[in-house]
Amino acid sequence: MTYVDLKDIRVSYDGKNNILKDLNLSIEKGELVSLLGPSGCGKTTTLRVIAGLIEPNDGDFVVDNKNLTRVPVHKRNFGMVFQSYALFPHLTVKENVGFGLKLRKEDKTTMNPKIQDILEVTGLAELGDRYPKQLSGGQRQRVALARALVIEPKLLLLDEPLSNLDAKLRVQMRIEIKRIQRKLGITSVFVTHDQEECFSISDRVAVMNNGIIEQFDTPEEIYNRPKTEFVARFIGFENFFNLTKQGEKTYTTSEGHMLKTSQSWDDTKLVATIRPDDINILPKGTEQDTNMIPGKVVVRTFLGKSYQYEVETNVGKILVNGPKETAYSSGEELLLQFPEEKLILV
Amino acid sequence: MKNKAPFILLTPGLILLIVFMFLPLVTIIWPTFYDGKLTFGSYLSFFQDNYNLSVFWRTLRVSLIVTLICILLGVPTAYYIARTSKKWRGLMMAMSLFPLLTNSVIRSFAWINILGTNGVINDFLMKLGIITEPIKMLYTDSAIVVGSVYLFLPLMIITLVGVIENIDLEMVEAAETLGANRLTAFMKVVLPLSLPGIIVGSILVFSGTLSAYTTPQLLGGNQNMMLSTFLYQNAMTLGNWQSAGVIALIMIVTTIIVMKLFNMIAAKFDKRGGEHA
Repeated sequence: MTYVDLKDIRVSYDGKNNILKDLNLSIEKGELVSLLGPSGCGKTTTLRVIAGLIEPNDGDFVVDNKNLTRVPVHKRNFGMVFQSYALFPHLTVKENVGFGLKLRKEDKTTMNPKIQDILEVTGLAELGDRYPKQLSGGQRQRVALARALVIEPKLLLLDEPLSNLDAKLRVQMRIEIKRIQRKLGITSVFVTHDQEECFSISDRVAVMNNGIIEQFDTPEEIYNRPKTEFVARFIGFENFFNLTKQGEKTYTTSEGHMLKTSQSWDDTKLVATIRPDDINILPKGTEQDTNMIPGKVVVRTFLGKSYQYEVETNVGKILVNGPKETAYSSGEELLLQFPEEKLILV
Repeated sequence: MKNKAPFILLTPGLILLIVFMFLPLVTIIWPTFYDGKLTFGSYLSFFQDNYNLSVFWRTLRVSLIVTLICILLGVPTAYYIARTSKKWRGLMMAMSLFPLLTNSVIRSFAWINILGTNGVINDFLMKLGIITEPIKMLYTDSAIVVGSVYLFLPLMIITLVGVIENIDLEMVEAAETLGANRLTAFMKVVLPLSLPGIIVGSILVFSGTLSAYTTPQLLGGNQNMMLSTFLYQNAMTLGNWQSAGVIALIMIVTTIIVMKLFNMIAAKFDKRGGEHA
């Protein structure tokens, strides 16, 4: 059941260039959806449209079968965590968290237990009387989260909430956010440009580029089966080459090497991609078969857990990761095998 | 005293201040305390005189009213300027600073033409038939207030624009997502965070109004003396340097006390934890 629905949202600041182009996105209740993409792709704009901080030029925004497109920010009852946290420096942690409740004219007797509860859930119980300046980055992050959650919002919106934290804290906080989100069962939209962060936390991911959603799927599906070249490149596919269709699941490269794939598309010309990790290296002299392309090592780089080779082949340069037990030196000839289930067509 | 360099750098300024500011001040104020022996007599008699007191209270009242009006007019203006695009902000700042670029005598004369018995306002109201007799607006306390607000509002605005520009707009947005409309967000977030600017601006406006001479002289006239015009009269017209010294010190002390008070009020409202994490 769709809970949040963005229908044909168009946003343009100058009337000529569209920041968002007829964007569609449906989110189910209780789901944590990430908007992933490079800077300038429109992910933050999408979040701000949802929050009501930007009014779309066209399109509809529906939550729980109510059209909220023209409802102002302060009447939407969504919790939002900002990249800068945007805590109120003149208020204590408790006052920051209670800000939204106070505006709802809540009584002290109902307000205080709510504040106390959320401070406990977010691990801030001891810090209620401190001011934001007296807190560490991670603690401020929790206050921002507590402040957004205490109003019992219909939606939780997170705008790159972890980008100001150091690497270790970032991992810790994303687990924390996931835990709290699960516990409260709150529908959430998370904006990030970090794919690892996004994959670890999300139920579904919308990969955005140039104001449109390129793919909206589970993290696993996006990781294993990117649908477009942009998505593939963004999530770490490095090798791209052209193929021509010969028959059902059978393709040839420009040089006539035969490749079998597990996917089948109708287009006669398309692009194939594969991760450096998924290519097998076979020594020279192995019998040439389908899904094999010969090449010559150009550069070898040590990555710690493996070697990475840049291999010159007749379909172009291919990056391959090989085990560190066998090191091929530059100039050496070898055969690259592309397992058919790992070869992705985009 | 490991490093003397900073003190050496300080010397030229310090000498200038001591020779041309501190010493003259002492030579003027010292006689007000010393009359063969140490005494506070001149001060006691100043505050026992009803006329003197009326001048003192007028000065305090006018300065405070001017400060208040400058806050009320300055905060929304500064907020608006701070939130407009960079392109227009420069122009608006220039426009609000424009009064500072003209001579204060000329500015006060402009107000004489507006507020006078045959001035623009009276002329207008009489032609419309709303009044038959001109209203007395010039040579009143209100005239001093109007003239001083016009004079000192730019100081309040530039101070506040600087402070408000530095308030993260995301804080206002955060307040809005939490259920605050524009006005509430302004009152609960922008205003408390502008407080340091309001205090600095108030101190500038207050001490400026208190010590201004031209405006009260031209717009208040001799019936509505302020401490500064009273001081001038005592020194230059009456040649009574003793009283002038008394008034000078009273002005200095009043300014310091009021500045302290402003700061105390600020500290009471602005308690956002001193320590840095």
